[in-house]
Amino acid sequence: MLRFVLFRLLQSLVALAILSVVVFVLARATGDPLHMILPMNASEEDYANARKYLGLDRPYVEQYFSFVGRAVTGDFGTSIRARRPVIELLRERLPNSLKLAAFAMGASLAIAFPLGVMAAVKKGTGVDRAAQIVAVLGQSLPTFWVAIVLVEFVAGRWQWLPAGGADSLASYVLPGLTLGWFVVAGMMRLLRSGMLEVLDSEYVKLARLKGVAERKVVWVHALKNALIPVVTFAGIYFAILVTTAIVVETVFAWPGLGRLAYDGITSRDFPVIQAVVLTTATIVAAVNLGVDCLYAVIDPRIRYSR
Amino acid sequence: MKSTTRIIVTSLLLLIAVASPAWAQAKSELTVALSSFSAETLDPALQGHNVKYYLSLMFDYLVGVTPDGQPSQAGGLASKWESSADHRRWTFHLRKGVKFHDGSDMTSEDVKFSLQRAMSKRSTTGYAGPLRTLIADIETPAPDRVVIVLKESTLIIPTYLSRSLSTEGMVLPKKYIEANGDDVFARKPVGTGPYKFVEQVVGSHIKMTAVDNHWRIGVPKYKNVTFKLVPEETTRIALLRRGEADVADVSRERVKELEKEGFPVHMRREEAIIHMWWILGPEGRTPPTKDKRVREALNLAIDRAEIAQSIFGGYAEPAAIPMGLSWAFKEVGFKVTPEMAYPYDVARAKKLLADAGYAGGFTQDVYAFQLPGFAEGKSFAEAVAGYWEKIGVKSKLIPVDYPAFRKQWVDRKAPGAVGYYNIANRDWIGTYALLEKQAYTPSKLNDTVNDPEIDGMIAQVMRQTDREKINALMRNIYTRMRSEHHGVPVVYVHSPYATSKTLGKYNPGAVMYDLFIDELARK
Repeated sequence: MLRFVLFRLLQSLVALAILSVVVFVLARATGDPLHMILPMNASEEDYANARKYLGLDRPYVEQYFSFVGRAVTGDFGTSIRARRPVIELLRERLPNSLKLAAFAMGASLAIAFPLGVMAAVKKGTGVDRAAQIVAVLGQSLPTFWVAIVLVEFVAGRWQWLPAGGADSLASYVLPGLTLGWFVVAGMMRLLRSGMLEVLDSEYVKLARLKGVAERKVVWVHALKNALIPVVTFAGIYFAILVTTAIVVETVFAWPGLGRLAYDGITSRDFPVIQAVVLTTATIVAAVNLGVDCLYAVIDPRIRYSR
Repeated sequence: MKSTTRIIVTSLLLLIAVASPAWAQAKSELTVALSSFSAETLDPALQGHNVKYYLSLMFDYLVGVTPDGQPSQAGGLASKWESSADHRRWTFHLRKGVKFHDGSDMTSEDVKFSLQRAMSKRSTTGYAGPLRTLIADIETPAPDRVVIVLKESTLIIPTYLSRSLSTEGMVLPKKYIEANGDDVFARKPVGTGPYKFVEQVVGSHIKMTAVDNHWRIGVPKYKNVTFKLVPEETTRIALLRRGEADVADVSRERVKELEKEGFPVHMRREEAIIHMWWILGPEGRTPPTKDKRVREALNLAIDRAEIAQSIFGGYAEPAAIPMGLSWAFKEVGFKVTPEMAYPYDVARAKKLLADAGYAGGFTQDVYAFQLPGFAEGKSFAEAVAGYWEKIGVKSKLIPVDYPAFRKQWVDRKAPGAVGYYNIANRDWIGTYALLEKQAYTPSKLNDTVNDPEIDGMIAQVMRQTDREKINALMRNIYTRMRSEHHGVPVVYVHSPYATSKTLGKYNPGAVMYDLFIDELARK
């Protein structure tokens, strides 16, 4: 297990190193941030001054090593747009994204578990069909459309819940549900198919023959064995919820990492783009590693060769 | 199961009760929801005019202006100013008893320090360059007197340091910045404005709280003012409906809907000109648009009235003068005559193309992008390309974002290609500053005109000290820009700002990038 963890850690570090080069090069290939921060009537002198002040006049190789050298100590430089240390912006935004992702994931689990299990147990009934509809809609309706509809009606016209911001618990509901619906759909389908398979297995039949209560058969014996793909899905999706909620964060004016990334990209804010990409990549790598380790806890039969 | 349902329903009802709209509460807060915050820096020297609308609540200018853009001795820290006979020494008399938010007195040393800081190499404000060129020295003969000594005679110094332009005229606290450093100042700015800084969450909001009594507006009407960054319009409107925002920028297409619901919508008329131009080559204009007839043909081929109606929902007016920022027209005595307006004349446009040797038309690249305050950008580019197609000019639309176009423009790597911008309307000096960059050959980087006659007139304006002669020069520049068709002025757009039903009278003014939110705080 330890060897496996160390090997995966090494893999992740190599991936991050490659990613740092890719993001450094691609961020600069898309344009000059000075075209965004300097006024339209800026002179050549203004450009030269700003370039020097921001350290953009140095050779690319020097800029890259300076970026990497500082990044390993947690210093991602200063935002070209906000003129504040990027690490400060990350500290402000990452907790908001984590909180929203946790809320969305919690809501998704609360809905997907009973729905998935009931759909499997009551296969072919109205419950199953209703669950299927939830799944199809959740995976086919575009997130931005769901978000806009919720804001327009639930917040704007009916005034039931806040439209934006991260000011209160109520303000988590609409972005959380928008973000979580897709996860509900995926998790519910996965759980349903896993449960159907397990419920048809020999050991579940044996348990029933031995007179174990049906509730215990379903919620303990069957569910535990149908969980592994769900755990993988949930782990990966939590990382995705944290790192890719750009649309939801934009529509609901949620000050999270997704919005920071979006603003960084549109304003060619290299330090922010680099920091967000590396931070999100680190989160994804860490979550993947965590999920792999969790397998062994859930199912001790799983052993790692490396 | 029934009890579970009951718990869920009760929780939802509680949540809804907690989240009920804010309009039931007494208003001591003013919330402004905007689609863009531009650079989001709180240091006036690190950004230009784009950040004025929130900075002008925290900082006062040396020279104030009225909401319609006229210099005002009542609105700035200088209560009066005068110049020497040769217009090379400008003396500004400062208001006494004005204090910074940290309690220190505002003096001439602060003014000198602020100006030097605005002109420093670190500064990225819009007019740092011209000020560096103009200012030789800044003297502080008394705590309430500043003398700006110029390298050459000019009338334009007060305007450069006023609220009508960028942020160079904002007065900053010398002692506070020297004691704490630039970074601390940028995070916790201190000014003399009616509102003090409280909190900034980049990408989310900027919060300020009122001073007890401000020299300009007295006791502010609102205890707190919050600027919220809300990129999605549906969300801004929902905030307005819930009473969680008092002012919001909205798109032209939703104006009628909001007015129908009873929300007052205030128009900033002719807030920007939608102006197109051709990228110059390293040596200037390139064929086919080097030929004046081709430029005129491309102008005549566009039905401006139809664009104003169909693309901008009727909230726009046809434009006729390239780079003709209309808020300056009255000041310099310029009038757009009916003959100057471009008629929609396809037949004449085709004839002009034929006369220029392009009877079969030609192909040109058109960069298509959206801009803050110009969400219609791409459909506008498509519409114009459609008109040009009718006279045989095939436009290859290149979907990019603005920085990509700007790079092509200033690097001169795509000569003859077309781009555009919603250039903010401004007064005559603002217009002059724009011309000096975009229509003046020596400026190189941004030039779009390359006309020696225009160059000569622009050079004269800066040194001219007779206001009548300046006005005449400005009028001649406009006339020449129009007669040579140095660009494609399409429409002036009006920008709507919706307010809550209870806010009352609001005048967003006619000063570029300023919404005069502080005027709302005046009791």
